[in-house]
Amino acid sequence: MTSLLTLAWIYFRIGLIFVGGGYVLIPLLNHIMVDQYHWLTLREFLDGLALSQLTPGPLAMLATFTGFRAGGFPGALIATVFIFLPCVTLMLVVGRNYDRLKNIDIISSTLDGLLPAVVGLVAAAAWNLGASSLSGTKEFIVLLIGFAIFKWTSVSPMVVIIGAGLVGLLIN
Amino acid sequence: MDKKIQSVRLTEIFLTFAKIGLTGFGGGMAIVALVERICVKEKRWITSEEFLHGLAFGQILGPFSLNVCTFTGHHLRGIRGGITAAVGFILPSFLLVSLLSWIYFTYNELPQLQAALKGTNPVIIGLILVVAMDMGRKQIKGAGSVLMALAAFAATVFLQLNAAWVLLAAALWSLCESIFRRRLS
Repeated sequence: MTSLLTLAWIYFRIGLIFVGGGYVLIPLLNHIMVDQYHWLTLREFLDGLALSQLTPGPLAMLATFTGFRAGGFPGALIATVFIFLPCVTLMLVVGRNYDRLKNIDIISSTLDGLLPAVVGLVAAAAWNLGASSLSGTKEFIVLLIGFAIFKWTSVSPMVVIIGAGLVGLLIN
Repeated sequence: MDKKIQSVRLTEIFLTFAKIGLTGFGGGMAIVALVERICVKEKRWITSEEFLHGLAFGQILGPFSLNVCTFTGHHLRGIRGGITAAVGFILPSFLLVSLLSWIYFTYNELPQLQAALKGTNPVIIGLILVVAMDMGRKQIKGAGSVLMALAAFAATVFLQLNAAWVLLAAALWSLCESIFRRRLS
């Protein structure tokens, strides 16, 4: 079994690269876990990827799965803590300086000016998710019902999502 | 930070983000939409502008679903609040994925949950759309900002550009605009 210290160091480094952009995570983990350390077969890796997509939470929970394979439950814990350590630390640093930065005129107007782009990115995410998961009339009906509930009522989104999961199990 | 905000208890932050973590199906932006709905709209813990600033920083710094939780928690109760929110958010998924990993590596079987996702995915798209519309009504004013929103949308959907680069480009544009406007006045 790989020592937990080695695991911590490996996932910490992945976490640092992760900060540069989340999209490199999957090929990177694949390279390290499958080709370099042979902790998982490619098939196990792909199953793990599917599992992280099925469960709630970020896709990076793949770290938990691979860490579990490499070192059992302690391995999963170490992998999860260390892959997220760099980004949590950085966000805390950003948070600490945010209030000060916001009071500098040029920075606050720059930040406000880029907000439409953030909104565009949110809309793009809806589009991309739709392109990959809307396949039939049933899904469109569920989408419309969900949209109406969120738009015109204040029902808790958790209730709606859990209800929709149950509906999905029933109608499929 | 004003007194009202200071009074949010760490346990409440923890429980709120644990619930978000437990229902955050569908990846990054689905979770962001949930956090927006709950922390901005329901609880009024953070303003829409501040939340979007946090989202912009969060997207540049990698896993933005976790990053917006950390940012919101920090906004409420400083470093301890940020860590509480991050841990609360990750813990349910961590326990669930650990359990499922154990089942997988012991029995070599994946749980059959795809059918449930057929119900949750469309509803999550609905949630993201509503959140995008709410944000848009507040933040998109005038032709320039409509153009910027459309450009960001198109760059991600049609050109498949990385969101972090899109945001850096938007920041650069916005910075130039601010400097230009300042020169004029």
